[in-house]
Formats: sequence, C-alpha cells, structure tokens
Amino acid sequence: MNKTGDILFFVLLFILQLVISDYVHLGPWVSLTLIPLLIICIPLSRSPHAVMLIAFALGLGLDILSDGVPGLNAFAAVLAAAPRKFFYRILVNADRQDKTEVPKIREVGLMKYLKYLGVITALYLAAYILVDCVSFRPPLFLLGQFLISWVASTALCLLLSLPLQNRS
Amino acid sequence: MKRYGLLSSLTAIALFIVLETVAILLVVKGGVVQRYKVLGAVRSVQAWFWTRTSQATYYFHYKTENERLAAENLQLRQQLARYASAKAELDSVVRIIEPDYTFIGATVIRNSVDRQHNYLILDRGAKEGVEPGMGVVTARGVIGIVSAVSRHYSYVISLLNTEQSVSAKLAGSGAFGPMNWPGLAPDKAVLSEIPVHVQAAPGDTVLSSGFSTIYPPDIPIGRVVESKINQGSSQDLTILLFEDFRSLHNVYIVKNNRGEEIRELNANAHE
Repeated sequence: MNKTGDILFFVLLFILQLVISDYVHLGPWVSLTLIPLLIICIPLSRSPHAVMLIAFALGLGLDILSDGVPGLNAFAAVLAAAPRKFFYRILVNADRQDKTEVPKIREVGLMKYLKYLGVITALYLAAYILVDCVSFRPPLFLLGQFLISWVASTALCLLLSLPLQNRS
Repeated sequence: MKRYGLLSSLTAIALFIVLETVAILLVVKGGVVQRYKVLGAVRSVQAWFWTRTSQATYYFHYKTENERLAAENLQLRQQLARYASAKAELDSVVRIIEPDYTFIGATVIRNSVDRQHNYLILDRGAKEGVEPGMGVVTARGVIGIVSAVSRHYSYVISLLNTEQSVSAKLAGSGAFGPMNWPGLAPDKAVLSEIPVHVQAAPGDTVLSSGFSTIYPPDIPIGRVVESKINQGSSQDLTILLFEDFRSLHNVYIVKNNRGEEIRELNANAHE
C-alpha cells in the first residue's frame, strides 16, 4: 500500500465526513459517522498514544469545522480508538499471525471485519449519544437512536471500506 | 523490556484520561465565540461555500418561499394600515414615536435541525450592526439568539437547542412560562409552568411574551396540541411550531432600541 495513497484516502474520508455532517440530515434518530472507519484506517503499527492523539485531532477537527459541540466527537473518537488493538486481537487476529497494517475484508474475511468495525462503531456511537443527550432524551429514544445509527453507520463504513480492497 | 511495556501502558492510560478530560471540559464549556475568533480565515472560506450552497438549495424552494413571503407581506400591510390610523390619532399627543424594535433582514446560509444543539449562520454581521444577544424571528415564530458575530456573518443558537428557553404566553389567557425544545421533533416545543387552573385547549395560539429584551411581544409561535399536568402543580403544553425550521431562509434580526436602558435599570435595581 502506498503511503501517499493512504493519506489521500484518509483525507478524503474526513472530507466526506464533513460533508455528511453539514448536508446529510436524516433526523434526530440517525447519526451517520465515518470516524470509526478512519480509526480503523490508522495503521496498526502506530502506538496507542499516536492513535489516541490522531483520533482526538480528528474528532475535534470535525467538531470545529462542522459546528458541533466542541469536544463531543473528540471524546467519542478517543474512546473508540483506545481499545482498537485489543478488539483487533480478539475479534480478527486471535493467533497473532497476521502482520497487516490496515485490515482489509479480503485478508481477514467479511465476518471478522464486520465484527471489528461493528464494535468500534458501537463504542463510538455509545459515547457520542450518551454525552450528547443522555439527560435530555428518554432512554428508549436513545436506544433506538443508537441502534439505527449503528446499523446505518456500520453499513456506510463497510461500503466505503470497499475501495481499500482494490489497493495493494 | 517488560518494564518498558508497563511504562508504555501506563503512559497510554494517562494520555487516555487526559484526552477524555479535555474533551469533556470542551463539551461543558461550549466556546462558540472562541471558535469563531480562532477560525476566522477558515470560516470565511466555509461561509463563502455555504452561501453558494444555500442559494442553490433556495432555488428549488423559491415557489414555497415566495408564497410564504407574500402571505407575510399581506399580513404586514394590514398591520401597517392599522398602525397608520392609530398613529394619526396619536400624532396630536405624542410628537416623536421611536419604535421599540428595529429589524435587520438576513438570509440563513446554514441551518441544522437534527442535533441536540442546533444553530444557524446568517449573512449579516457586525458591519450591519448585529450584536451578540439579539433575537432572530420570522413572522411565523421565534428562531433563536445571536451568539457570536464576525464582520459579515452571525452565529445563532437555534430555538431547537435543548439549552435554549423562550418566554411565551397563551394568546387567550395571557398565562406565560418558559418554552423549551425537548430535543425530539423539530416542529414541537414544550411550554411549561402554566398554572393548572388555566384552560388551554388544543388549537390555542402561543405568542412570544415580550418579557425579555430579546424578542418583541406577540409574535405567533405555534399552537397547543396537547396538555399534561406536571406533578399536580402546573401544566406542560406541547406546542406545534408555526415555523418550519427545515426550510428557513429569510429571517429578521431584532434590535431592541430600549434594551440598553432596561439592562441599566435592572443593574441599578440590583446594586
């Protein structure tokens, strides 16, 4: 995988996230996010410190540029990024044989990839929704918002993961 | 080697705690104004882009918007005619009539409705005399409060913000209370603290009370759709808002010409 291509793909995903935040309004039940995919796209060789700092910068950048509540995406991104390697080991690479940098569906298998992506997305959305509105909205609404957002965001991230497959 | 691994884990945990604490502090503090100052140049580029996209979106809604403005125009003409006849009678008594409120027309270039803390960006700023704290209205409702101002743009905290509250009253009885957005549908708000003895029927109109220096009184806001007794002591009324926040385009920024005087009076009274 070429490094410039990786960075370009990463930047494009971030711009797409900004466009989604600014122009895709699907109502209060759905929060669409690509941040979990961006977190997955950070090479696994990076130290946890670097991953958390990158996730924080991504989240804060999104908060500021899309006029969200400052710190909200940053909080959720760090929470999802911190245990990333742990979940990768238990869900994808249990035998620790794989030395991949950025997990791809064709290397790890669709189900393992989906589990990994699903867990990171769930962590991100749980943190985001709880900090954003736990005291204002009824618990059933929060649960509904979480489930719908989780399915929608995981599906979108999976779809956008496909370009990763075509890169060597 | 093992010691290095332990140290690395400890510093990672410490970094995690620091980053999450900073993020939570940022959430608590908000900091809209600071964000505007820091991002001056970036904001200019974004605002240019938002203006263009807002114009493009508006093109597809111009028919509805024209019909709405025509209806508003008709209503204002009728109001003007009533004031003109009243003014003719008053002119003999009062020499100078200075309006309590003046309005600055503005266009919404950015608007969010599906967040917990929604906001708008208007294409009028300090250059046109907009200041933080001014209200934003349309003929169909209260929209929000200006929170930060740059030279050409202003950032408005929308009524669709769970931390925003507007003083509103029932048109019939005059009973008033705070109206908040509960964070669910963008067309519904809740008027609370209405005494139990006040009869509020579905369909009753809700108006701005004018008890703050931000909004003029008697702006129609919405109509009652449901009432619920809250702990036996007051009623919470669900209000269907007249204004459709999803298709906002033309708004008015309200300048209270007596606001400063009222604030000074308040300050003196509390000294």
